[in-house]
Amino acid sequence: MIYFALLILVIISYLFYYIGKKRALNLKFNGNIKLSSQPDYFGYYVVLMALIPALLMWFGLLLFKGNFQEMFVMSPILFPDISTWSDGKLGLILNKLNNLSVIVNLPLDDLTNGEKSILNMASENELTAAKNLANFDKIYGWANLTLFIILPIILGFLATRSISGKLNAQPIVEKIITYIIKGSSYIAILITIGIFLSLVFEAINFFRYVNPVDFFFSTGWNPNRAFVVDASEGFDKDDLENAFGFIPLLTGTLLIATVAMIVAIPLGLMSAIYLAEYASKRVRDIAKPIIEILAGIPTVVYGFFAALSLAPFIKDVGESVGLPVSAESALAAGLAMGVMIIPFVSSLSDDVIKAVPQSLRDGSYALGATRSETIKKVILPAALAGIMGSFLLAVSRAIGETMIVVMAASLRANLTFNPLEPATTITTQIVTSLIGDVEFDNPKTLVAFALGLTLFLMTLLLNILAITIVKKYREKYE
Amino acid sequence: MVEQVNSFAIKTKNVSVHYGNKMAIDDVTINFTKNDVTSLIGPSGCGKSTFLRCLNRMNDVIDSCKVQGEFLLNGVTDIYGDSIQVETLREKIGMVFQKPNPFPKSIFENVAYGPKIHGLASTQSELNDIVMESLNRAGLYDEVKDRMDDIATGLSGGQQQRLCIARAIAIRPEIILMDEPCSALDPIATARIEELINELRENYTIIIVTHSMSQASRISQRTAFFHLGKLIEHGDTSKIFTKPDKEQTNDYITGRFG
Repeated sequence: MIYFALLILVIISYLFYYIGKKRALNLKFNGNIKLSSQPDYFGYYVVLMALIPALLMWFGLLLFKGNFQEMFVMSPILFPDISTWSDGKLGLILNKLNNLSVIVNLPLDDLTNGEKSILNMASENELTAAKNLANFDKIYGWANLTLFIILPIILGFLATRSISGKLNAQPIVEKIITYIIKGSSYIAILITIGIFLSLVFEAINFFRYVNPVDFFFSTGWNPNRAFVVDASEGFDKDDLENAFGFIPLLTGTLLIATVAMIVAIPLGLMSAIYLAEYASKRVRDIAKPIIEILAGIPTVVYGFFAALSLAPFIKDVGESVGLPVSAESALAAGLAMGVMIIPFVSSLSDDVIKAVPQSLRDGSYALGATRSETIKKVILPAALAGIMGSFLLAVSRAIGETMIVVMAASLRANLTFNPLEPATTITTQIVTSLIGDVEFDNPKTLVAFALGLTLFLMTLLLNILAITIVKKYREKYE
Repeated sequence: MVEQVNSFAIKTKNVSVHYGNKMAIDDVTINFTKNDVTSLIGPSGCGKSTFLRCLNRMNDVIDSCKVQGEFLLNGVTDIYGDSIQVETLREKIGMVFQKPNPFPKSIFENVAYGPKIHGLASTQSELNDIVMESLNRAGLYDEVKDRMDDIATGLSGGQQQRLCIARAIAIRPEIILMDEPCSALDPIATARIEELINELRENYTIIIVTHSMSQASRISQRTAFFHLGKLIEHGDTSKIFTKPDKEQTNDYITGRFG
């Protein structure tokens, strides 16, 4: 129904565009009236005038559908004790009524046995309410249809009639479009702020249970301790002190990210230099997209590559030379992650190396420098800031990466700098704290928000740093 | 002028250049006399810049560019021969470009770049001397002596171009190629560079591409007129600008086409 209405709306707006434009052209050529805007703008004007009120009202109806439904159906006349119901019960009953409303008006013969028993089990009042709901849905449907078809048509004709030599459509259309564009960008910003605030508030909730000092500076991570005690009795402060120590997660994150960067920086940078300076155009056209495909492989694939192939291989190699290697080593996760972020380094570095003006290369060659001297002494120093920016972006990607570590690294917090031992990361612990049937009334789950907030701030800082550096670099040549 | 083998800095014979299938230079034969300034003039796209870039093999990096013909440095060394390395060649034939292109390094490092690469200075003080002397010759030393460590891209356009000239002469070339060195500069900076070119003539052979006829007549002893990839006329500047042999040259110089 709604899709059909949308389709009709699109057709209507197309028609109105032509109607509006045609009328403007008519006025211009047959009526000899001097128009104050280009004919196209009159077309846009009519379309916008016809559509916008309808869309706004439709959005309002959608937003408040639940409230209307409740107002219409959940009257105290049918359910005298409704004021005493909890939100949960209200939701359950509404759900039930929704199910009933689909079948309540059908003839008995069309119903299955299950549906019949549902009808039989419902009370008289509930049946009445379900019938009301069905009526409401019908009215709501018609309201939508009216909004979508009749209202735009009326408004469209009114707008078409208002076209005259005096109407200046262009500033109106441009103003409306500016508002639409502005609105879109504000929505993106608001969503970001919303996510950030929800993190902040839940993190504050978490810090009601756990002292922030303990969280940021304690070295013990045993979130299951919070379950030993019954939530309703409150928590023993001493128990919580060493349960949520952030330090081992930080070291684990940094350890794995470091391994990843040790892989990604040299490989990425060298392939960038090759692609930008040495490769022929043909090789570059083929090789660059292939390297970029590495970034398109789903991280879960890297995860099982790391867990099933890389980790056992590292273990075997390590043991053959007498090194104790854990089956879930930080090394395996870090290596897989390193491969994953190679394209971040290589692609961005390649771009900044390519952006170094040809005139600098010419200048160096003209002084008798070889290609490698030119790269070492002119191009890389000139592109350094941009290359550093690409490293930082890659680091923030490595720190935020989840799936590979969930699959290949350990879940056990381990305060170590030895990549052969298991380690866990911030992201992994966020996942584990939210797995299963969770209620957000105890620190074990709430810690996810505190961790998420910390992670967000870390990567935000890195990104700001990276962007600042890249920007500084850009200014140099402009 | 007595024309001996030795008096030619560069001799070229039957030079043709193709970009892919497109011919850019068509059978050009021209000799450049030592310690003269030779101007290459002609309308845009006539191949004069391409020809200039052939002389120190700057076209090598362009894949589609194919150079044919004979190029002799000092009458003996084959510029495109196997026996000479392109880096050594460019040590002898320096180049200054249309747009000033200092490296984003300090003023000192810009001038020291070439000498360092070619190992012209064994000690820091020798390097300092080379840098100072080069800047001096380029007439820039007094303006920058107090800020040698400042980044070179902060200089004015004219200063940057003189820095590029200082950078080019720091490796003590025999020949300096200049590709419209004044086209990005204002008249005052242009006058300064022209003065400089005149001074440099004592020690170097200079080949300059220019769009400005008045500039060619002011600074050069010899002038070559290119049109559509062909060398139309070549001779003493005074002759080319007063009574050229060819109708075409006359037309271009008097501004009737181009």
